[in-house]
Amino acid sequence: MTDQCPRAFDETLISGHLDGELTQAAQQKVRLHLEDCGHCRALLGELQAMRETTISTVFSTPDDHQWDERPRGTTSLMARSTGWIVAVVWAISFATYAMWHFWQSSANIWERLFVFGGFTAIALLFISVLIDRITVARSDPYTEVEK
Amino acid sequence: MTNRPPKSAVFAADLPRESETVVLAQRGETAALDELARSCRQQAYVFALQLTGNPDDALDVAQDAMVRFFRSLQRFDATRPVRPWLLRIVRNLIRDRARRNRIRRTESLEPSSDDVLRFEPKDENPDPEAMTVRHDLQRLVWRCLQELPPRYREVLVLRDYQDLAYAEIASTLKIPRGTVMSRLHRARRLLHDLVHERQRRTGEVRND
Repeated sequence: MTDQCPRAFDETLISGHLDGELTQAAQQKVRLHLEDCGHCRALLGELQAMRETTISTVFSTPDDHQWDERPRGTTSLMARSTGWIVAVVWAISFATYAMWHFWQSSANIWERLFVFGGFTAIALLFISVLIDRITVARSDPYTEVEK
Repeated sequence: MTNRPPKSAVFAADLPRESETVVLAQRGETAALDELARSCRQQAYVFALQLTGNPDDALDVAQDAMVRFFRSLQRFDATRPVRPWLLRIVRNLIRDRARRNRIRRTESLEPSSDDVLRFEPKDENPDPEAMTVRHDLQRLVWRCLQELPPRYREVLVLRDYQDLAYAEIASTLKIPRGTVMSRLHRARRLLHDLVHERQRRTGEVRND
């Protein structure tokens, strides 16, 4: 059934008719056409048989033990977010304080460069991850889904 | 894997109860959260399976979808039906994974792809021959479905396997209702032609 309706009828309406999704006027138009068109009647019959086959197909599903536990609730997610924020603020404050004290100490220039280089590398890594996360959050396709 | 009804009927036809459960879940009631999880994860799995054709990927996607689902539950409008929203999360996750080539698509003739189907008699005294023909046809259609391009497969799955109305499909796929109808018809014609071609070539079951 690769050919088209000989009367150039809009076959899309056949699917709409099959699914009961047409307006009353469109349903009437299809009904009238079907009375005269053997091609579209045959097509409707075949699509109907196909739909009966698909709708009656049953799928196996996993056992309960194959699922992870229910994802964490909102409260624990909020607690986790708060924990991260506090931990980051603490880490930045502590690192600044430690570096200030180190700078005041009698360490030589190489020791100072070594320690500051390490802290700078960690800070750059942190900033790059943060930028990535912000970019992902801005282009997140689920923002709309979550509404 | 155990065999269970694919469409968890808990929420399918009971919108006020579903809405009530969502509200309770949003307040953090454990029983409501568990009920939502039990109901939605099976729906998410079956839909993911229908789109990917692979049970392992479907389980991964369904679990990711449940994380997304519960993470955004607070912002969900409880007066709206859950199913289109859940299916949209699953569909977006599959698109993302496909983009990153993480979905291992099963080929249509791969024998394991049939393992996910479950065959059971429709009535109490089934005619064994008719039942075999029906199951063979279901198997054949399922294989051919895997050969459709994703945009046609998803609209066909949403209508003919998930039984969603056009408005719900439009909302799930974010396309106009008219596009749903035309794309669905095109998908049905493609599937129909594939099935007939396969039947002609291999002499597999006919539904006459």
